[in-house]
Amino acid sequence: MTDHERYEAVVVGCGPGGAAAAANLARNGVETLVLERGVDAGSKNVSGGLIYAEESAPYTIDGLFPDFREEASERPVTENYIHNVAGDKVKTFDIGDLHHHDTAWADSVLRRRMDSWLARRVHELTRETGGGLLTEVHVTGLLREKGEIVGVTCEELDPIEADIVVAADGVNSELARDAGLMDWEDPDEWFQGVKAVAEMDPDVVDERFDIDEDEGEAHLFSGDLFDGVRGGGFLYTNEASLSIGTVFHLDSIAEERAEPQELLDSLLTHPLMAQWLGDDYHEVEYSAKLVPDSKKAALTAPHQDRLVVVGDAAGQMQAQGPIIKGMNHAVTAGALAAEAFADARSRGDPHRAGEFYEKKLHDEGVMDKLRPTSYRAVGKIGELGPIDGVANAVAESAVGRFGVRAAEGLVERAYNSPTLVSMIPDTKLPYVTLPTILGEELGERVTDENHVQPPELDDRIGDLTYDVGDPHIELVDNSFEASGTAVTACPVSAKDFGGGCYRDEMVQTNGHEEHLVSLDTQPCVECGTCAVVADTDWEHPAGGKGVEFEQG
Amino acid sequence: MPDIDPTEHEIADLGPKIKDVDDADELREMLALEEDGEDRVPVKTLIEDRIEKVEAEDEGELDPETVDLTEMTVADIANMVRDVDDADVLRDILEREREGKERSSAITQIENRIESVEGSDDEGEDVEYVPPEEKYPELDHPTNDKQWVEGTAGAEYRDMWVFCETQAGELVDVSKEMLGKARDLMDQYNEDYDADERVVAVLLGDEAGDYVEDVTAYGADLVLYHEDDRLERFRHKPYTEIVTDMSRAGGELASEGHEDVDWKDYHEPRYTVFPATNNGRDLSALVQGALDSGLASDCSGLYIEEAMISNPAKVGTAGDKKEFERVLHMKRPDFSGFEYSTILCIDKPNRDFHPQGASVIPGSFEIPDPDYDREAEVVEYEMDLDDEWFEVGVTEFDRLSGGVDLTGNEVVVAVGRGIGDDPTTGIELALDLVDAFDDADLGLSRGVITSSYAFDSHVEQYVSEERQIGESGQVVEPDVYIAAGISGAIQHKVGCDEADTIVAINTDPEADIRDFSDYVIEGDLFEVLPRLTEAVERGELAAAVEASDD
Ligand SMILES: Cc1cc2nc3c(=O)[nH]c(=O)nc-3n(C[C@H](O)[C@H](O)[C@H](O)COP(=O)(O)OP(=O)(O)OC[C@H]3O[C@@H](n4cnc5c(N)ncnc54)[C@H](O)[C@@H]3O)c2cc1C
Ligand SMILES: Cc1cc2nc3c(=O)[nH]c(=O)nc-3n(C[C@H](O)[C@H](O)[C@H](O)COP(=O)(O)OP(=O)(O)OC[C@H]3O[C@@H](n4cnc5c(N)ncnc54)[C@H](O)[C@@H]3O)c2cc1C
Ligand code: SF4
Repeated sequence: MTDHERYEAVVVGCGPGGAAAAANLARNGVETLVLERGVDAGSKNVSGGLIYAEESAPYTIDGLFPDFREEASERPVTENYIHNVAGDKVKTFDIGDLHHHDTAWADSVLRRRMDSWLARRVHELTRETGGGLLTEVHVTGLLREKGEIVGVTCEELDPIEADIVVAADGVNSELARDAGLMDWEDPDEWFQGVKAVAEMDPDVVDERFDIDEDEGEAHLFSGDLFDGVRGGGFLYTNEASLSIGTVFHLDSIAEERAEPQELLDSLLTHPLMAQWLGDDYHEVEYSAKLVPDSKKAALTAPHQDRLVVVGDAAGQMQAQGPIIKGMNHAVTAGALAAEAFADARSRGDPHRAGEFYEKKLHDEGVMDKLRPTSYRAVGKIGELGPIDGVANAVAESAVGRFGVRAAEGLVERAYNSPTLVSMIPDTKLPYVTLPTILGEELGERVTDENHVQPPELDDRIGDLTYDVGDPHIELVDNSFEASGTAVTACPVSAKDFGGGCYRDEMVQTNGHEEHLVSLDTQPCVECGTCAVVADTDWEHPAGGKGVEFEQG
Repeated sequence: MPDIDPTEHEIADLGPKIKDVDDADELREMLALEEDGEDRVPVKTLIEDRIEKVEAEDEGELDPETVDLTEMTVADIANMVRDVDDADVLRDILEREREGKERSSAITQIENRIESVEGSDDEGEDVEYVPPEEKYPELDHPTNDKQWVEGTAGAEYRDMWVFCETQAGELVDVSKEMLGKARDLMDQYNEDYDADERVVAVLLGDEAGDYVEDVTAYGADLVLYHEDDRLERFRHKPYTEIVTDMSRAGGELASEGHEDVDWKDYHEPRYTVFPATNNGRDLSALVQGALDSGLASDCSGLYIEEAMISNPAKVGTAGDKKEFERVLHMKRPDFSGFEYSTILCIDKPNRDFHPQGASVIPGSFEIPDPDYDREAEVVEYEMDLDDEWFEVGVTEFDRLSGGVDLTGNEVVVAVGRGIGDDPTTGIELALDLVDAFDDADLGLSRGVITSSYAFDSHVEQYVSEERQIGESGQVVEPDVYIAAGISGAIQHKVGCDEADTIVAINTDPEADIRDFSDYVIEGDLFEVLPRLTEAVERGELAAAVEASDD
C-alpha cells in the first residue's frame, strides 16, 4: 500500500455545488478537504446571476448558509419580463408567474463575491473537522488503486486518498471525464453563456428601473436580434451594476459560425436597452462559460466507485425555458451527496454513497426536473428536422400569424407554464421564429436611440486580469476543418483578429497553401468551448494561473 | 415532549440545534420520535452521536474522590486524572487503585500525574546519559542516536554568519536578502540581550575579494573571504572544508595555525544562514553536519526568541520545562506552502546543537538599500587547500543562456503578424534592417511566436519566446523601436513604449499602435522595410531621428 495523505472526504471545486457538499459533510462531522483551483473561490466562475431557492427542493443555499442573502447576494428579483424582439418592434410579457412557480426567493448574484463568501464559511466549517479549504490547487484526475477510484491527483500536491470524492468541478469537469462519465464531443449538449458586467451607481439602477434598493429586475430577450442563432439574452440588476449576457445553444453557434461577442453587442446596442444602459455604458468585465443542458447531459448515474459528481460537472443545469437553473441544483445535489455519504457511513459502508446519492436525486424529484419525461416525449421529436421545418412554416404562415394575434393571452400564459416551457424543443421555432412573429405582430416600436459603444474584443481582453502559466490547451489537429470553428466560437477570438486565442492562417508549405489555425492560450477565459468544437487536448490551467474574474 | 421534534427539521439545521441539547433523556425521546416518524438514518446517527457525547460529558463530572475505580477502564482513569490538580486526591486515587484492581498501567498513569502536578524538584530523576557506543554495544555503528562529530558541550557561540553566494560575477539577490535580514535580527538581538554580536559575511571564489564592499554595504560587520583560482566554480568538498575551518577558527577545535585569530574568540557561530539555492543547499547540509549541528532547510521566515521546551531529551529531566534563550526560530513551508512548521535547533544536556542553521528560500526577504558608507572588518582567510579536495573537477560547463537579451540595444526592430503573407521573407527583411544599424537586434510580437507560420530553417531559430516584447516577454527601452506589422495591443505596448522614438509600419493607419508611435509609416512592410534599410545604410534615417530628438 502506498502511503498517501488521507481525508474522509475530498471535495473538488468550491462553487455552489462544492460549497453545499462541504458544508453538509462538515455538519455530519466528516473530515473534509476542499480543493479549489482559483486564487480565490469565484475567481474562475461565471453565471448570469439568478440563484433560486425552490420550495420543492430538499436543500437551499440559505438553509445551508444562514446569512447568505444578506451577505452574499445582490438584489432579490421582484419583476420578471420577457421581450420578444423583431427589428425595432418589441412585445413584452410579464413572466412573473413562471418565475414565482415553486420559488421561495430568487436573488441576483456576482460569483466572485458570492463564492468567496461561501468559501470562507466552508473553510470555517471544514476546519472544525480536521480538513479545510485549499485554493490554487488544480486537481488533474482520479487516483486509482487496482483499477478502483480511491482519491484524486493534483498538479501542486501529492495524491490524496478519501472515502468519498465529490467532483463539484463545474462544466468541463476533468474528473467526470477521467471517470469516463462525460465526453466533450457533442455541441448540442451545451449552451455557451457570455456576459458583460456594467458598472452603475445604485441610485442610477433604482432610478432607471424604477425600483427600490431592495428590489431587482430580470429581463429576458429573444427574437431576431441574434442572427438566427438559437438562444436568448438576459439583463439582471445587481447592487451597483448590471449583468447583461447571452446564452446560446453551442451547436447553433458552431453551425452559424457566429461571433459570440458580436451577439452580445447586438443585445447591448438594441434600442430597447437604451432606457437602462443610458449614455454612460462602462463595461468592467467580459466573461464566458459553457453551460450544460441537463435535458441531454445530466448523468443518470452520476457516480462511480468512491466518486460522486454534482452540479455542472454532472450536467445538472436545467434550462426551464428561458429561465436558467444551475446553481440551485448544484446546491441540492452537493448537499444530497453529502447526506448520502453520512448515510452510507452510518451503515458502516461508506463506499456505497454513490448509490444512495443517485436514489436521493430520484426520490427528491431532482432528476425529473433535470430530465423531464415530457421533454423526452415532445421535445426530442420536435427537434427532428422535417417536423421542425413544418412547424416553422406553420408559424410563418398567415394562419399561424393570425393564431398568434388572436391568442396573445394564451401565449403569455404558455410562457408562464413550467411544464410547457420545459418541453420546448431545441429548435429555431421557440427561440427565434415564434418570438420574432410575436414581436412583429404584437410588438410596439421602440424609438429610443441607443448610444452604447461596446468595447472592442482587444479592450475586453486587455481589461481582464491574467496570471499567465503554461499553455493548458493543446491543438491536436490544427487544420481549419478540424478546429476552425473555434476561431469564431471562442468568445475571445474572432475572424480577422490577431489578438485572440484562435486565429486562422493561410500558410504556404512546400508550394501549396494550407488553411490552418493557431492557438495562444494567454487570453483564454477558460470557457470550455474549444474543448467541444475543436480538436484539442483540453485541461484547466494550473492552480492560481489563468484568468481571474473580479465580478463573475 | 422534547423541545425539538426532529421530524420537523431538515438534517442540515438539526446539526447546529442539537448541539444545544445536553440532556441524554431528552435526546432519547427525540430519537424515539425520529424512529416513529421519518426514521432517517443520518438523523438517527446525529442524535446517537450526541447522546454518546452528552453521556461522556456527564461522566466527566464524576467525583474523583468517590468514584468507583473498578467500574472504569484505564483510559477513563487516565482521562479523569488529567483534570485533577490536587496531589493528595491523586494519592488517594492511587491508593484505591492499588487496593482494587491494581492495574499497573493505571498506576503508572496516576503516578505520572502526581509527578507532573508536584513538578519534579531536585529529586526528579536525571535522564541518564549513556554514550551511544555503550548504549548499543552490539552495533558497530550505532545510528539510533546520531553519532557526533565533535561532541562539544557547553561551548561558547556568537554572531550570525551568512554564506554569500556569487554567480557569474555577481552577488546573487538572495545573498543581499539574507544580509538584510541578518542585520535586522542582530540589531534587535544586541538590543534585547545588551550584546555586541556581529553579522559575519563569508565569501569564497576566484575573485571573492571583489564583493567585500557589496556585502559590507548590505549589512556585514565582519567579512571573511578566501580566494583561489580553483574556487571559480562551486565544488562542495573544498567549499565545505573552508567554511568549516573558518567556523572553528579561534575555538576549541581550531585547525593548525588558526588557534588564535584576532577576529574571533569563540567556539563556533551561534547562527548560520545559507541560501536555499542548488549550491547553498548542498553546502549548508555538509557544513552543518561537519559542525555537528542540525539544519532547517528551505526556510522562509526567521526570528529570535525564547522557547519553552519540555522534551526530556533536551531538558534532561522528565516532566520538566525549561526556557531556552536566544533561539533562532526557523519557519519553513510544508505541504506546498499551505502550512508552516517552525524548527528549533536546541542543545542537549550533553551535546551542543550549534550553530543553529537555516537555508533560506530566495525571495523570502526584502533586498535592503545598500549603504556604501558602512564599514566592516575585513579578513582574508589564509588556508592551504588540499589537492585531494579537487579530485572531482569541472571539465566543462554551459551557462544556460538567460535567453536573448534585447534590453541593451540602441535599436530594436520588431515584427508582428503583418509578415503573415510571407513570414520567412518578413523576418529576413527585418534582419537586414537590424544589420544596417550598429547596435540593433530583432524583436517579435507574441502573435508571430504563437502562429502556425511555416518558417524556413534559416530564420526559424529567431522565432521563439526569447524575442517576445511585451507584458509576458521583455520590456525594452531602446532609442529607436521599429514596429512593423504590429497592431499595438496593450500587452505589447507595455514592452516598448518607454522607447525614445517609436516608428510604426502598418497597412492600417488606424491600428492602435498609432496612439503611442512617434512616426507611422502607412504601407506594406514588405516594401517599406527594404527602403528603410537602404536609408539607414546611407545614414539618412539616423539623421532624421536625431533631428526629431530635439
Ligand atoms: C452566462 C451564464 C449564465 C448563467 N445563469 C445562471 C442563472 O441565472 N441561474 C443559475 O442558477 N445558473 C446560471 N448559470 C449556470 C451556473 O453558473 C452553473 O450551473 C453553476 O455555477 C454550477 O455550479 P457548480 O458548483 O456545479 O460549478 P461551478 O460554479 O462552475 O464551480 C466549479 C468550481 O470548481 C473549480 N474547479 C474546476 N475544475 C477544478 C479542478 N480540476 N481542480 C480544482 N478546482 C476545480 C472551479 O474553479 C470552480 O470554483 C449560468 C451560467 C452562465 C455561464
Ligand atoms: C495575458 C496576455 C499577455 C500577452 N503578452 C504579450 C506580450 O508580451 N507581447 C506581445 O506582443 N503580445 C502579447 N499578448 C498578445 C497581444 O494581445 C496581441 O495578441 C499580440 O501582440 C498581437 O500581435 P500582432 O500585433 O503581431 O498581431 P495583430 O494584432 O494581428 O496585428 C497585425 C498588424 O499588422 C498589420 N499588417 C497586416 N499586414 C501588413 C503588412 N503587409 N504590412 C504592414 N502591416 C501589416 C495589421 O494592420 C495589424 O495592425 C498577450 C496577450 C495576453 C492576453
Ligand atoms: S481558448 Fe477555448 S476555453 Fe479558452 S476562451 Fe477560447 S474557446 Fe474558451
